Amino acid sequence: MSNPAAESGSQQKLQLRSPGRMYVKAVFTGYKRGLRNQHENTALLRIEGVEKRQEVDFYLGKRCAYVYKGKRLTSVPGKGKEKSRVRVIWGRVTRPHGNSGAVRAKFSTNLPPAAMGKRVRVMLYPSRI
Amino acid sequence: LQQMAKSSAPHKPKNSAINASRLMKYSRARIFQRKAAYKVKKVKTPAKKSAEKAAAAAAFVVKKIGGDKNGGERKVYKKTPKSLPTQVASRKVQLRPKKTFKKHVRRIRSNLAPGAVLILLAGRHKGKRVVLLKQLESGLLLVTGPRKLNGCPLRRVSQRYVIGTKTRIDISKVALPERLNDAYFRRQRSAKKSAASAGGSADIFAKSDAAYAVSAERREDQAAVDKALMGAIKASGDGPMLRSYLRSLFSIKSGQRPHAMVF
Repeated sequence: MSNPAAESGSQQKLQLRSPGRMYVKAVFTGYKRGLRNQHENTALLRIEGVEKRQEVDFYLGKRCAYVYKGKRLTSVPGKGKEKSRVRVIWGRVTRPHGNSGAVRAKFSTNLPPAAMGKRVRVMLYPSRI
Repeated sequence: LQQMAKSSAPHKPKNSAINASRLMKYSRARIFQRKAAYKVKKVKTPAKKSAEKAAAAAAFVVKKIGGDKNGGERKVYKKTPKSLPTQVASRKVQLRPKKTFKKHVRRIRSNLAPGAVLILLAGRHKGKRVVLLKQLESGLLLVTGPRKLNGCPLRRVSQRYVIGTKTRIDISKVALPERLNDAYFRRQRSAKKSAASAGGSADIFAKSDAAYAVSAERREDQAAVDKALMGAIKASGDGPMLRSYLRSLFSIKSGQRPHAMVF
């Protein structure tokens, strides 16, 4: 097939490749609420491309992440020495919300209000397909 | 008499447990009747152990003591225990005993069969399309790139972090080495640390993280499996397309909606 020299070169090339986006884009639209009261423990997400309640089934149980940057450097999990300004709040999509494809999610800590209108990443795992 | 002789041969037990619990189907009285034990003559056991029994039942024990003019012996009286249980400790009957991890049922999604191409969703190999070889005993899936095509080695991966595509490769001719099991892929804890936890005398602060080096057997197995797998890919109808497919990476592009996609 291919000669060894070309192969080792291509191996190096392969290692530098990274896939593109491995998550679905979503927006944090607000907390679960009635008109005059809101419950911050449940966040509402609008997932891009999901317009109907029937389409939401794929996303149930998927993990979602609100990624943001802080000012202080914090340690990166899994890499002792490395520090980064990037921080994450992890959560999971729990159930549909309404008929138009919105979704409820619960995070390990409540999402900060500053996150409203910002990007939340809905991962493709835990996968059921 | 003939009946008695027949019954001495092994036969099915007359009593059985209910649902793997401690409870038996027939009570002692019923079994007595079913076995017709009233017909069996009782054999009197000889009174061999009566002397030992008497000693145990006695209120004191005779012990020898040293020193002359001491009498040589003392009767040590048994004390009553400080507290006696007020209730007989009953053993809790485990009607549904706790299952250890080894006994857990391992399931696999119906669309994941050996030879299926999977998309890895997380980890250092995320986005890569890899070939499923088999499910290991722990339930994890054994996959390989093949390494030549996408750099993914023989590796364990969880079902939950994988999308199973419809693409299949016929790997019936691919012989996997026997030694590829969970123990083979288990993470190696450094020897010093394990000694420290066991013996306690080794220096626990000694840095013993040598860089991970691929073992010879790993290289060997990788080469063997990949060779067989590349052969299977070549043999299948669309070899060149499969090769470039496995080399490519998956990602979500603009406008793509995973819930509507057919994988």
